[in-house]
Order: sequence, then C-alpha cells, then structure tokens
Amino acid sequence: MHTSTADNKPLIELVKVSKVYPPDVLALEDVSLQVLRGEILFLTGMSGAGKTTLLKLICSIETPTKGLIEVAGRDLSKIKPAGIQLMRQKIGVAYQDFKLINKLTVMQNIAMAMEVTYKSKGEIKKRIMELLDTLKLTDKVNKPAGELSRGEQQRVALARAAANSPTLLLADEPTGNLDPAATDLVVKLFKQLNESGSTIVIATHDEKIYEETDYRVMDLHYGHISTHTGKNKPRQIDLFESHRA
Amino acid sequence: MQYLAYILRQTARNLRLAWGTQLMTLLTVTLSVLIFAFFFLIYTNMMKAGERLGDDVRIIVYLDDEIVPQMRPQIERKIREFSEVEKIVFISRQNAFEKLGKQLAEEKDVLNDLGPYFLPPSIEIYPLKTLKNLTHINQFSEYLQTLPGVSKVQYGREWLKRFGYFTSLLRLVVLLSGGLLIMSMTFIVSYTIRLTVVSRHEELEILRLLGASSAYIRMPLLLEGLLQGLLGSTLGLGALFILYQWICRRFSGPGLLHLFDFTFFAPEIIAAILFAGILLCTAGSLFSIRRFIRI
Repeated sequence: MHTSTADNKPLIELVKVSKVYPPDVLALEDVSLQVLRGEILFLTGMSGAGKTTLLKLICSIETPTKGLIEVAGRDLSKIKPAGIQLMRQKIGVAYQDFKLINKLTVMQNIAMAMEVTYKSKGEIKKRIMELLDTLKLTDKVNKPAGELSRGEQQRVALARAAANSPTLLLADEPTGNLDPAATDLVVKLFKQLNESGSTIVIATHDEKIYEETDYRVMDLHYGHISTHTGKNKPRQIDLFESHRA
Repeated sequence: MQYLAYILRQTARNLRLAWGTQLMTLLTVTLSVLIFAFFFLIYTNMMKAGERLGDDVRIIVYLDDEIVPQMRPQIERKIREFSEVEKIVFISRQNAFEKLGKQLAEEKDVLNDLGPYFLPPSIEIYPLKTLKNLTHINQFSEYLQTLPGVSKVQYGREWLKRFGYFTSLLRLVVLLSGGLLIMSMTFIVSYTIRLTVVSRHEELEILRLLGASSAYIRMPLLLEGLLQGLLGSTLGLGALFILYQWICRRFSGPGLLHLFDFTFFAPEIIAAILFAGILLCTAGSLFSIRRFIRI
C-alpha cells in the first residue's frame, strides 16, 4: 500500500464552523472536525442536532456563517461556481429526501449522475447494473422511481450517490426506511466503496450500522460536537492511485 | 463527443416532452416570419418597380410661343442652373403635331381639319436618376414654372404622389411587421423556454447538485431556441415561396405583375432572414436562461 505525506492530510477539515439560518436558528456552532482520506465517519445525534447541515456545508449546498471548510485542501469559500460543480462530481450525496425524479426510471435517475461526468452509455449501463445487483434492485431497473417503495427509493438514491465511485460519499440517514436485510446490502455497498478508496461520512440515527464497528462516531448535540468515539485509526489509502487504477 | 450526444438527446427530449407548446411556438415563429417576409417581398418589388418607372419619368414644359433656335442654349443654361439633367428635347408645334399623328396611327385623319398649330410647343426634360425623388422633382417643376414663356409644367404629379404615399405606407407596414417579428420571436421563445425551465425545475436542481456544469444545463435550452428560429424561419420562408409561386401562376400573363417584374428574394436576403430568425429566437432563449436558471 502506498502512503505519502499527502495521504495524511485530511480530506475534510472544518475549523470553528458555525451556521445560523435566518432569522436566528443556530444549526452549528464552532464545530471543528477532520476526516482523513479513506475514513468512514458516523455522525449521530437527535433530529435537529445539525447532522444534515454539516453534510450540506461539506458539499457546498449551504455556506457557513462563520469558520473555514476545506475539502481536499481547498477552501470552499474561495472556489468559483464552476469549480464547485466539478467538485460535486467527485462527491456522491445520498439525500434524506432522496431527490429522485419520480417520472424517470431507476436507470435514468442513476444515469443522471454519470451523464454529467460525460461517461459513455455502455459504461453507465454496466455500472448501474452492478450497483442494482449489489442492492438487489435489478428487477426495478425500468420502473419509474415514483412507483417504488420508500425503501427501494432510498436504495436508488444510494446507488446514484455511488455511481461515479466518488472520492467522498455523504449519506444522510441512508437506512432510515430499510428493513434489516436491505440495511445489510447498504452496509455492504459502503464497505465496497470504502475498500476502493472512497471516504464516507454517514449521518444516522440507526445505531445498528455502527455499534459493531470500529469506525469513528461523532455525536452532535444542538449544533456542538458532544462526544467523539471510535477505536479505529483511519486507514491510509492512496485514493488517487486507486482511482487512477 | 459524449457532451454533444447529451446536448442533442436532451434537446430532443425537451422538444418531445412539451410538444404542444413547442408546436405553438413554432407556428407563431413561422407566421411572424411569413407576415414580415410577405410585406418585405411586396416592398422590395415595389421599390424595384419604382426604379423601373422612374427611368421613364420626364417633365414636359409647355410654352406660350415657339422658341427660336438661337434662344435654345440660353434656356438650356437656365434649366441646368437648377439641376443637371440627362437630356433636354425641344418640341416645336410641327413636331408635336407629327408625334400625335404617329400616336393616332390609322385615326390620324381626325387631325386633318385642325392643322399643325393647335398644339403648344414644349420642352421635354429627362431628369437625372438622382433627381427622380418626388420632392426634388416637385421643386424642379416649380422652378421651371418661373421661367419666362412657360404656360404649364406636367410630370404626372398625382401619379408620383400616390406612388410615394403607397411606398411610404408599405415601408411603415414592413417596419411594423418587423417589430412584430422581433417581439413575437423573442417573447414567445423566451416564454417557451421559461415553461421548459419551470417544468424541469426539479430535474435542473438535481443536475446542479450532481455537479452538472453550467453549459451542460444551459446548452440544450439554448439549442431549443436556436432550432425554433431555424425551423420557424425556414417554414415561414417556404410558405412564402409557395404563396409567391401561386401568385405568379394566378396572375401570369400581361398585367400588373408583368409590369412590376415580380421576383422572389435574392439568396442573400433569404440567408439574412434565416439568420435574423435564428438570432432572435436564440436571444429569447438566452434571456430566459439567464433570468430563470441560477447556476
């Protein structure tokens, strides 16, 4: 395994980040955090703790009221809109509300993520079938997303987030609508992605998916980091080498 | 290559999904081009006809008495003092009588009892092309009227006046239909693109979150406007050509059209109308994109 000084640099770094929604709703206050390359981090906390806001800040859907956010060593506040769009192509996000287009089929919904990166039709189809196979959704490939159950829609949203084998995957409550069997499939997908080099940040209520693991768990409480646990030292992976390969 | 394929696929999808609105837009663009091009065609043909008729314009100055040959250079000089002319022809009473006789041909016997002196002598002045403007001819005729020995100046004033009014009116109609063309094309295309943006709002938002570039989102919409312009202008001009051929067939033979030498647009005018159509529709599309898409 190749390691270098660059590998030890965090992929995500937040320094004293605060976010206040108008008029005066404090979502995050002075949050500082580092996520290393190749790490899996669980963000936990009750509803309204600021988990979703934190994920939105990392993928630049929201901007912080105060503080510094760096992704891959770049200050997000200094990246131009075109640069943000390029960055988003390398970040897969599974949204809590899925953000699927109901009239489009499962295939079309997932393909959207790959089309924006100008992948070929053949490559798109192959990758989608692989993902649907992992998530046991192969038989739904041509079904409109609106006709799927919530659990199935959640898995489609995850498949779309994973489609480009992203450098960073952000998942917001990825198992909220899933039964134990489907949860296992999703966890399996996360492990596959992580092994191939993706850094993963998961915001969840679901203790089952992290209680048996050694991954770092960060608990948010009313916009502050209250506890930070985890025995696991983040693995050092040459992310770009694995992606180049 | 993948980019181009996507743009074309997405444009086709936009057109297919809102085909009813697209068809109405296409129809409006086609009709606007047809109306404008129709009046413009009439106008250009009238202008050409005007130029042709202008070649035959002459001013006839009727005199009280015959001019002796020695006086002619002096009169010529006085005429040319006001404006250079193409030609000046002096017609004596005798010449006028012979001319009339030729015009009457077989019926010239009616002149037998009248004798050659009942017609006044005259001067025929052929103005230069630069003077064939109605206002100038008017001023010129007023000047000629002031010359000594002149009884009357004739140049088809009423006819020229009416022709001038008609071409002015036609020019106004062309300008108005041109305004209509600009407004309808930019507004209707802009409105259609706005509808596309609204109907695809959710999809465009997701594309933005997935990292689609500005060009990736905007190009299909821009192409949509461009295609509306190209198709609408082509159909409008095609419809006008069919109408033109029908008019030519319907009014063929000796008549008004024969006199006017009714012709269709030159290739460069066709290209200019097509280009203007494309430009206006693309501008309409661009307006909506800039206004309603924020990426």
